[in-house]
Order: sequence, then C-alpha cells, then structure tokens
Amino acid sequence: MSQTTVPEERAGRLRGTAAGIRRDLSGSQKLMIFVLSMALSGVANTVIEVIPEVSIGPVDVSVSYFVFVPLTLVALLNPFWAALGAPVGEVIFVDLLMGDFSGLAEVEGIIQMFLALFIAGSMIRNPRSKIQIALAAVTVVVIDKALSAIVDLSKVWIGVEDAEYVEGLPESILVLEGIGFAVDILITGVLFGVIPAIWLIPALHGRIEPLLGMRPRVPGEPIQGSAPRTGLFVGVALALGIASFFFAFLEAWDVAIGVFEPDFIDTYGSGFLWVGIGAAAIAFLVGVALVKLSRNTSTED
Amino acid sequence: MSRKTRDVLSVEWVKLELIRTAYATRGGLFAKMDPRMVISWYLILAVVPWLTHDLVTIIALFALTAVSAALARVGPLVLGLFLIGFVTDFGYAFGAAWVFGGDHETALALVEITLKLATVSLASIAAFVSLDPEELSTGLLAWKAPELLAFGVSYGYRMMPILFEEFGTVFTGLRLRSPQGKKGFLGLRALWRWGTWAVQAFYPIFLNTAKSVRTTVESLETRGFTAAQGRDLRIAQLSIGALDVAVVAVTAVAVVGAFELDALFTIA
Amino acid sequence: MSPIIEIDRLSFRYPGAERDSLRNVCLTIEEGDFVAVIGGNGSGKTTLCKTLNGLVPHYWEGEFAGEVRVDGVDTYDSTVATLSSTVGYVYQDFQNQLVRPRVRDEVEFGPTNFGMADYAERATEAMQMLGISHLADRFVWQLSGGQAHLTALASVLAMRPRIIVVDEPVAEVDPAGAHALYERLTELNQIHGITVIVIEHHAEFIAQYAKSVVLMDDGAPVWHLPAPQAAARAAELASHGIPAPQIVAACEGLELAAAPRTVDEAAAVLRTAGARQRPSWTAEAVAGSAGQATREGQPTTEGEERRPVAVASAVSHGYRSVAGDLMPVLTDVDLTIRAGDRVALVGGNGAGKSTLMRLLCGLQVPRGGSVTLDGIDTKKSSATKLAEHAAYLFQRPEQMFLKDSIRADVRLFPAGRKRADADALVDRVLDRVRLSDFADRDGRTLSGGQQRRATLAIGLAMTPSLLLADEPTASLDVASRDSVISMLDELSGAIAAAVVATHDMHLVAEWATRVIVLGGGGVLADVTPSELFASDALLEGAHVVPPQITALGRALGIDPAPLSVAQWREAVALADASETVEVTA
Repeated sequence: MSQTTVPEERAGRLRGTAAGIRRDLSGSQKLMIFVLSMALSGVANTVIEVIPEVSIGPVDVSVSYFVFVPLTLVALLNPFWAALGAPVGEVIFVDLLMGDFSGLAEVEGIIQMFLALFIAGSMIRNPRSKIQIALAAVTVVVIDKALSAIVDLSKVWIGVEDAEYVEGLPESILVLEGIGFAVDILITGVLFGVIPAIWLIPALHGRIEPLLGMRPRVPGEPIQGSAPRTGLFVGVALALGIASFFFAFLEAWDVAIGVFEPDFIDTYGSGFLWVGIGAAAIAFLVGVALVKLSRNTSTED
Repeated sequence: MSRKTRDVLSVEWVKLELIRTAYATRGGLFAKMDPRMVISWYLILAVVPWLTHDLVTIIALFALTAVSAALARVGPLVLGLFLIGFVTDFGYAFGAAWVFGGDHETALALVEITLKLATVSLASIAAFVSLDPEELSTGLLAWKAPELLAFGVSYGYRMMPILFEEFGTVFTGLRLRSPQGKKGFLGLRALWRWGTWAVQAFYPIFLNTAKSVRTTVESLETRGFTAAQGRDLRIAQLSIGALDVAVVAVTAVAVVGAFELDALFTIA
Repeated sequence: MSPIIEIDRLSFRYPGAERDSLRNVCLTIEEGDFVAVIGGNGSGKTTLCKTLNGLVPHYWEGEFAGEVRVDGVDTYDSTVATLSSTVGYVYQDFQNQLVRPRVRDEVEFGPTNFGMADYAERATEAMQMLGISHLADRFVWQLSGGQAHLTALASVLAMRPRIIVVDEPVAEVDPAGAHALYERLTELNQIHGITVIVIEHHAEFIAQYAKSVVLMDDGAPVWHLPAPQAAARAAELASHGIPAPQIVAACEGLELAAAPRTVDEAAAVLRTAGARQRPSWTAEAVAGSAGQATREGQPTTEGEERRPVAVASAVSHGYRSVAGDLMPVLTDVDLTIRAGDRVALVGGNGAGKSTLMRLLCGLQVPRGGSVTLDGIDTKKSSATKLAEHAAYLFQRPEQMFLKDSIRADVRLFPAGRKRADADALVDRVLDRVRLSDFADRDGRTLSGGQQRRATLAIGLAMTPSLLLADEPTASLDVASRDSVISMLDELSGAIAAAVVATHDMHLVAEWATRVIVLGGGGVLADVTPSELFASDALLEGAHVVPPQITALGRALGIDPAPLSVAQWREAVALADASETVEVTA
C-alpha cells in the first residue's frame, strides 16, 4: 500500500505571497456581488409587483420597494457593486418584463437608486449597529424619492401646456407628491426598510460572505474592495449626480419654451429631440465611464 | 368555504404569466423583428408624445400604440396591471385637483398628461414584452451597451421564474409552519403576518441565492464570459429584414398622420 | 500514453482557513484515462479538481504552493479562461451552471465568448456527441434533471476540451439516467480520447466504468491505482465511506474472493462457484425476516382493517402549461393510505409523484374528486390547518431551513401552535435524528445527510399522522443515504403512515412495505417491493433499475429475490455450504 503520512511541512514552492486577503476584490467577486444583488432585488420587486396595492383616499399606501434587500447587500458586501446591481435588477426583472419600462426615465431611476444605495452603504461602518442601519435605510428612501419627486414635478410641467396657469393643478400635484413622499418614508423607509434591515443585516452578517468566498466585514474596518477613493471615482459620482438632475433640468427648460413661444412648439420639435438625445448621450457616457472604471480596477490586480 | 384550484390570480398563474411574457411565447408582431428596429420603434413612440400639446394628436398616438400592443399580443397580467395603474392614477390626481378648485380644464390637462404617459408605457410594453431576452441583449450589445448589462438581461430572464418559485416555496413553508392567529380589525393582523412572512422569507432566499450565484459566476469564468471576445459574433446574428423596415415605416407615416390630424382640426 | 496532468507537491489553503485543504499532493494522470476521484467529505476532492482549470488559485485565492501542469502549462502562470479550453468542468449543482435561456444558446455560450467563428458547428457537434440535438430549441427550465446535466456537459464539450471533470454526476439524476450518462462519458473517453475525471461516491459506478481510482484523504491522495486493484481493497474503501458494491458484498458474503464489475459478471462467477437458493428461503420466510411486510412497530394485526390516514377518491388534477392548456397529470385516482403503511411512490419524471403528495397533504386541492386526510376533506379546510395532520418535506432541504438554526426551525411549528411541551419535544426530536450537537447551526452549513435528517426533524416536530417526503435520499453519498434510510425506519412509531417519492431503489427495497407505481396519469400498480422487482414490465413502466443485489438474485433464479445484502446472506449459499446449514438448522 502506498499510504504515506502527510509531512508536517509543505514540500512545494510557495507561489505568490502567503498573504491572507487582498484589500481589493477580484473581478469575479465583483461580478458575483453584482449578479447576486441583481437577482435578489429582482425577486423582491417581482414580489412587490404581485402584492395588491392598498390605497387610502388619493394616497397610494403601497410599498415602492423592499429597501432592506439591497441595503443588506450594500451593508455586508461591496457597496459599489451591490448598489449598481440592485436598480439594474429591478429594471430587468420587473420593469422590462412587466411592461413598466419607461425608457430613458429608467436610466434616471438607475442613477438615483444607485446613488442612494451607494451613499447609504458607505454610511454603514458597523453592520451590527442598529442606529447606522436605521439611518442608512431612511437615507436610501429620502435620496431616491426626493430625486424622483423633482423629476415627477417637472414631467407635469413639460407634459401640460402652461401647467402653472391651469387652476388647481400645481397645488394638487405638489400636495400629492408631498403626501406621497411622507407615506413612502413611513412605509417603504421604516416599515419595509428600517425594521426588517435591523433584523436581517446582523442575521446574515458572517453567514452570507463565506458562501461567496469572502471574509465577513469586521465592524469599523472599511469594507473589502471598497470603492477607490480616487479622483476618478469622485468624478464619476459627480457626473452621475449631474446627469440625474439634468433629466429634471432639461424638462424645466421645455417649460420655458412652452411659456414664451407656445405657437412655435413644432418648430422647436427637432431642438427638443436633440435635448432628449443629449440626455441619453450623457447617461451613456456615464455608463461607459463606469465600465471603464470597473475594467481598470479589475485589471489592476 | 370550499377551496379549489384557481387558474388565475394564483402564484402559479403569475409564474406562468412571467414566463410567457419573458420568453415571448405568445408570438406577435415584434417577436419576429430585429431587436434594434424594435428598440428604434419604441424610441420613436417614446419621444413623439412629448412634442405636442394637442389632444387629438395625443389620442391618435395612443390609438396607434394600443393597436401595436394588440398586435404584440400582450398578456392579461401585464395589461391589467397597466390599466389599473393608469386609471387609479388619473382618478386620484383628478380628485385632488377638484378639491383645490379645478374644473373641466384641469381634467383635460390631466387626461393629456395621463394619455402621454400611457402611450409611452404601452409602447414599451408592446416592444419589450415581445422581445426575446436573448435578442434584446444582443441588440443592446450591438449598440455598445456594457457586456454586464447585456448578460444581466438574459440571466435575469432565465432566473426570474426559478427565483420566484423559490420564493413561493419558502413563503408557503413559513405560512404553514408559523404561528397562526386572528384576522384582526380589517384583517390588519393577517396583513401584518403576511408582511412579516414576506420579509422573513428573504433570510433563506439570500443564502440560497448566494450559494447558486457562486456556481454561476464560477461557471461564467470558466466559459470565457470575462474574456468577452464574442461581441462581434453575437452581433453578426442580427439582420434587418423587410418586415422591420415596413413596421418602422408604417409607424413613421402614422405618427406624421397624427400630427397632420392636429393641423386638420386646427384649420377646421 | 503521455501524462496530461502533472501535480507536484501541491498545497493550498483557503483564506482564513486553519489548515491546508490540499497538502503536498503529487499525482500524474495519463491522457485518455478515466479516473474516479473518491474520498470522504472534506478530503479535498473538489478543491483538487478545481486546481486543474485554474479556479484555484485564480478564482479562489489563497496560499498556493507547488506546481500543477495541465498539458504542459503551469496553471499558476495561466488563466482560467485559457485553461478552460483544455479542461471542461461540470458542477454538481449543474442547474446553476446553465445561464442561457435555450439549450443551443447555452452550448454556444463558451465558444462565442472566446470569439470562435465556428461556434455553431461546435455546438451542433457537441449536442450530437451526447445525443441531445433534439433538445436544441428547448428552454433550459423545461429540461429534466438528466437532460439538464447533458446540456451542461455539452456546453463544456463545445470547447473541445482534452479533459472533462464531472463533479458527482449521478447525484441529481435517476438511476436509469445515471447509467446513460456514464455510457456517454465512456464514449467520449474511448472514441474521442478525452480524459475523464469524475468525483464519485458510488462504488458500483466506479467498478463498472473507471479505469483508475484516486483515493483522497485529508487533503492528499492515499493512492492512485488501476480500477480492479482499487476495487479489491473493499475494506479500505469502506473505511473511507465508500462501501463495496452490493455484488462484491454478495461474493464476500459467500467468502468468494472476487470483484465482479457488473451484475452479469457476478452472476457468472457465482454460477461457477455453485451458488444456489437455500431451501429455507421461501416466500413465508421472507415475510418473517428482517426485511418486509410486517414489522414490530405495526399497531394492528393482519386481518383487521387498519385505520385509513389519507384517502383519495376519483382524484383528477392537472396544471396549466405555458401555452395555457390544461395538462392532466392524474386522472381518476383512487388510493387509500392506512396506518402502518410505508409507501414508496415511483414512476418516471412527470408521472405525478409530487402532485399526488401535494394533494395528499392538502397543500393543493384536486380539480376533480376529493382527498380526505384524517377524516377531513381537504377542500373544507385550509392548508395551514391541515399542516397539523400531514407534514410535507420538500426535495431541497435548504428550502425548509427558514431560521438561523436547526433548533429554531424544528421549534417553529410546535411553538407557533402553542404546544405546552414544545421545548421538550424539540429536544426529543433532535436527539432522535442525532443532531443535538448541531442544533445551533444554520441548516445550510451541514452535510447533505445531516440536512436530510434535519428536515425529518422538522417534519416530526409537527407530529403529523402522515409524513410525506420528496426524494429524501437524492444526492447523498452511500453512507449518508443508509443513515437516512435507517432513520426513516426508526420513525415508524412516531407517525401513522409515511409516503416517499423516490428514484432510489435501495430506499424502496430496504424501507418500503408498499410501492405505488405511477404512470399514464394513474396508478399502474400497487405492490410490494418484491413484486415490483420481480416484474420486468413494472420496472420498465416505472423507469427504475432494481438494486444490484436484487438483479443478481433474479439472474440466479432466486425466488423471491433478496432485497438487501442481509437477505442475500439468508437466501443464498454455495452448493456444499448449504448442506451444512441444513444440518445445523
């Protein structure tokens, strides 16, 4: 029998370093976080789509999304890739599929949600701290909803001729948006954000990371492979912010056209189209920048 | 009360509807077209409603997209969700405007904005519901979308029925094994319980999905997904045919017609 | 033949791990070999195979020492993508390996990603080699387990690899499918010269198909031997959790030193040796023996009608297909499950096993006819109320682990229904399935066998009259499977009746008292295990392969054929030995 006892020492030549975990994530780990975030947010949104909506009076008392699902991922894993995967998952699983797809506005939705989640995820330093989790959950909803409220308002301006001269319209839209905002923070942010997240994040901490071949995050320590704090990243984040606001801004611009030259709106049709294309182009450039960024970081290793 | 097997409004039904929608098994006009032309078609109809404030034109455009949706054979779940959404939105907005002293002009303004949004939504339903996810992602690739997004599209479509079913199974387990109780005032207690289960279901779902995603990404790695040299090969599979040109041309003519209709009415 | 894989003093440690998962591995594999890698849980089999295509150390990073050369290339200096054109890898959970909607897309995926212009021909060729060309346009979620596995295999074949690694090929495939799969692998090996490496627990497959065997233990190979020599070391294999195939055990039971590879070989050996049926082995004797029919735990005597636990009368049920048609699954089924029954539901995929179980436990209600559970019409009650009468165990254990520990999972039901003795009950149940030591762990972190026992504990804590389990022994190694079977055996006192849907004929042979064969929308047969295995027509209709020992018994004309090795020992003797037995008896 060729049974041999295993020698105490390793016999082979050590390749690379004997280091433990790298500070940076490998390309496939990023892909894994992205795909996981996409899949889970997609499921969460499909479930919400199926839940019947309850309305009290004119206000929709429904859940916009399960904040705790993407929040858990940004809190425990790399916030950048988790934050990117969640809105993409929502668009792909629900919006495209359920016919909720609003075209260019989806880009704006992705940017808003990404920013909201990324900021919230970066806020969480200790995944076991209830206060940090609660703050982060509310932050997601506040950032996302504030941005989308602005866009919603401007859509009315662009969509309705001389919107501000229509009796009762601006007030009613403002009040509805205001109530909607408050209800969203309460239902989406607290009921389906803070409360489940306070339970789920600590419950999964230390359990989900090994399944992905990563080391659990140690409280206080910056997360493994966190977004590079370089000028490039700050630049991209800024560009995203501007692009998101640009969608609102460009629609406000149309109001000006509508007010001053209502008879010539068709003349400005081509110009307006150009604005739309410009917005898409900016969004596209941001997308390209993101991909470039990811390629750069993955080739760095 | 007697239980029976329901064919609609059950978890199984939703799953089937998702599959039917996702894989465009209903056939329909756009399913036969080149994805790039379908997306172009959609872009036309997504932009033009915003170029006019004329109600006649808007109604004409809405009618155009409604016909397209019919030709695309959109399923009842998707169409139902769409209709409910728009009717209630309109109702609430109008109710609120009325409270603030609005009149028939407010109503007209709201009809206008609602119809515009509905046209855009319906166009997207017709276009994206008919597209095979593979074609859609190839189309995106052809337009230089990031590979990650194109992959996400086809992977998402493949996984969604599976993940939804997994959620259903876990939720059933929770429902059967968790403490039961009274319905409470207006069924609020029952509602609360269902909410808790929906949230609790995510604990196992997170861990189970993490486990399967690991295999998936590992397999992607071994099969050259990250090598990403296949973009051109996949794009080469697309071709624009007579049908594509015809559909886009007919749409363009119809859109121009809708705007002309406006002129006609203004003169009259 | 030249070596295609050379591993020299390889050690590997996962980040944060206490010890090396692989330690000083030296191994050479010749091109064209058919290697079975065997060993217990945690012996490093899977990690070793993942070094071959560079997943270790390029994807799974950690401390890597030594050298792995695949086709002359040092894997440390290469990449996963490059190595993947030489080494194809099929995962144990292959369903997650499939990432595209249709079979053809899936098979084309690899070659397309690598920018190979002939991707279409490669895909067509790979599908032809595995005989799945007719599936090309199917959606992957429509495939059966066996078809999905072949698709995963085709998708790596399309890369035209020189080595294929298959992790536990038969884990999720029914027995007939498992043999078909091994036949395909053998073809690839013999006709196309591809080196095949399988990770395998089942000695019968190793003996029948492998050319050489690597035994792994504690992160290093113990030996690498030609298959016949490896098979001869039955005792050593058994100590590593690989019990000898039943046919080898059968020869051993007669003190014959032979290691037959197939049932036919074994039958030939035994005929020559003069094995024959003992006169004491009669149908009556079987009934009284350790095996079948009546068991001590049974509460009532033969003549008396036992209490019906679940009754299906004129049950019809079906599902809506994607196209919207109603697909009938069961038509006009009448069935009574009585107290003391241990029922095995068998039948091909889509025969309605899971449907029938879901109807019996009240999770669903039939479209036609009625199901009565413990005297309650399932249509008149709710699934949550019926959960107190019937427990249904899903096929995938992780779907039943809803909480963060086994104890919490087991406690969920009794505590929720306000049972006063809930904690005592939980302790008792956990003790019964021998999981008390693991009670605080998440179910997902347990081994396959422990996971199954944990789901049994969850079911038992519901104190049901009827326990239903879907494939309770699927994807388990032999030792875990035996422990689950014996666990099921011990539980008969706690529940009135049990129903199990299964492809595992060992479970049928060693546990069931009643086999219900489903097919063609109804019950094809309602028989005892012995009757099932005695009828070729039934075996065919049910798409099952009898256990080796039963097939061997039949080949030697032993009637009734033995269902377990223990029965074999009672039933068969060598020509001369039998007389001495007669005398002593």
